[in-house]
Amino acid sequence: MYYLGIDIGSLTCDAVLIDDSEKILASSVVPTGARNREAIMRAADEVLRSACISEKEVTATVSTGYGRKRVEGRLTAVTEITCHARGIKALLPGTRLLIDIGGQDSKAIELDENGQVVDFAMNDKCAAGTGRFLDAMARALQVDIEKMSELDNGARGNLTISSMCTVFAESEVVSLIAEGVKVNEIVYGLNRSIASRTLSLIKRIMPNTNGLPIAMSGGVARNSGVVRAISNAMESKVVIPPMPDTIGALGAALIARERYSHN
Amino acid sequence: MILQHFENQESGIMNAIRENPESASPRKKLALETARLGKRLYSNTDDLVWAGPLIPFDLLNAMDVTPAFAEFIASILVSTDAGPLFFENAEQAGYASDTCGYHRMLMGSALKGMIPTPKLLISAMSPCTGGLAAMENLARVFKKDLFILHIPQKESDHGVRILADHIRDMAESVSSHTGKVLDNDRLRKAMENTNKTREILSDIYTLAQQVPSPVNGRDLSNFGIVLPLFFGTEVGIEIAQAFYDELKSRIKANRSGVPGERIRLMWLQNRIQFKNNLVKMLEKEFNASIVVDELNVITWDPIDPEDPYIGLARRSISSPLNGTVERRVKQIVKLAEAYKIDGAINPCHWGCRQGTGARGLIDSRMKEIGVPVLNLEVDCVDPRNFAEGQLITRIEAFMEMIESRPSPW
Repeated sequence: MYYLGIDIGSLTCDAVLIDDSEKILASSVVPTGARNREAIMRAADEVLRSACISEKEVTATVSTGYGRKRVEGRLTAVTEITCHARGIKALLPGTRLLIDIGGQDSKAIELDENGQVVDFAMNDKCAAGTGRFLDAMARALQVDIEKMSELDNGARGNLTISSMCTVFAESEVVSLIAEGVKVNEIVYGLNRSIASRTLSLIKRIMPNTNGLPIAMSGGVARNSGVVRAISNAMESKVVIPPMPDTIGALGAALIARERYSHN
Repeated sequence: MILQHFENQESGIMNAIRENPESASPRKKLALETARLGKRLYSNTDDLVWAGPLIPFDLLNAMDVTPAFAEFIASILVSTDAGPLFFENAEQAGYASDTCGYHRMLMGSALKGMIPTPKLLISAMSPCTGGLAAMENLARVFKKDLFILHIPQKESDHGVRILADHIRDMAESVSSHTGKVLDNDRLRKAMENTNKTREILSDIYTLAQQVPSPVNGRDLSNFGIVLPLFFGTEVGIEIAQAFYDELKSRIKANRSGVPGERIRLMWLQNRIQFKNNLVKMLEKEFNASIVVDELNVITWDPIDPEDPYIGLARRSISSPLNGTVERRVKQIVKLAEAYKIDGAINPCHWGCRQGTGARGLIDSRMKEIGVPVLNLEVDCVDPRNFAEGQLITRIEAFMEMIESRPSPW
């Protein structure tokens, strides 16, 4: 039997296919774009093709992410908080704090020793410090978003990006470039500002994380510069699972298996 | 335009009940009476006094002065077609868009001449200084006097005596601005009515505590905030009695407010005042019921009709919105235990110290008794700031979290 998890995020649509033994058979990440139904089909097609499985052979599908209720034929829709927690429990058991930064949401999720969600906090009023924020900053810096990870190399780190609003931060970055500030310093400053926002989410639910296993998921976890900044801000190691952007979809697939067996 | 809104509301409810008498419900009764009150406010017939929270409305009712409760009117105006326009007016006049929506709505509508002119305005120093500033602004727009009621933050015999005297001064001020005299017999009768309403309210809240609860998430929304407008009147007793009878009959028929109730919630502070699907979503998808609102609570003893000022003063001081957060948190914990709630939702209304300022203290104390709190950041009044999808994700995740953990009780 096969179980499919689909995570429809604001920037990417991810799919993970697992079998009855919870083995990951295939995963895919496609841009969501303006038409999320097409992205859902593409992501699902990709994993099915890569695992040589037909759609009919999928026993149950669970969807998550902001477009979770747009997936037809789903067993159920579950929020990304629960799915990321389930996914990280499978890959990094024992994690007590999961930081998930996606396209437009950042979340701090507190887990108990069994991997159950105990508390969570999310960005509410605005999407500064998320994937879209990084996209906008890469645009302002005229650099490839994929290369942002290493662009802070060698920064002395005395620059702070003070604007909280994405649009204002973009102007601030443009001004800094005009003043001749080096790109690595600007990127370091941006990473620190994301880390500071993330830290305030974390502290709201977990004032003390000393010695607890911490992991990070979501597309932004692929940016090692941001991860380093968060790790420095927390004075703790932050572990990144393999393919961090598919953790939500993996959690959804695992929940599909559990719910189907339970029903 | 606003008068028309209330007239349509009144006739709409009356017609609906006439056509289908079985559709009559306590919620409709409350809506009908608030529409009638709204009509009186906008008919230019009554002596009006604008008043904020914690002002003893029953005293005004006893004087035949119609209380225009500022936050109540703001929440009504939100549901009119002109709502967004009023917000824009306020912002153009310098009210920042992330300040309290109640006050922005009041200022915006006042500047457009869309709220009725009172004889006097009354505001308390508590619970919010933003509200006091809004009333000061309104007084300037109306070119009317503002009476400020100083409510002590701490309950003590000395504080109660001072406030009792001050309420007496307030009554005199109302009298001198409206020409209405406070008759002792009417005041006594009003206090008897208030006590009767209080008694029924107390019974309603006791019924609501049952597991499963006879109330659904909508029955008692805004109840503890709106009902005081009718304190001191026969109508207030009738509304309360209608709710009591309905809950009693549901219990007798073994009918819970939310069929198959699985999750019991508390809503902190104020509800979201414009139309939204959150409460229905909670019921439909999670069999979750908001069984208690923080402000649906009786914190005061019956008022002695022979010496009403002392009782009125004690009531205002005892409000969960007055005094320290510590006192408020104690009250919330008491409710959590009485209603056996699985979780609490704090909307953290934008620009509000009551909502946002207290949240850390509320969270940590509730955590100690095993009750999780979901903090949202919602503008409870201005629908232009409402991101329903984002809120639904947070609420659904909270429900999933509650479902996966053992009940705290």
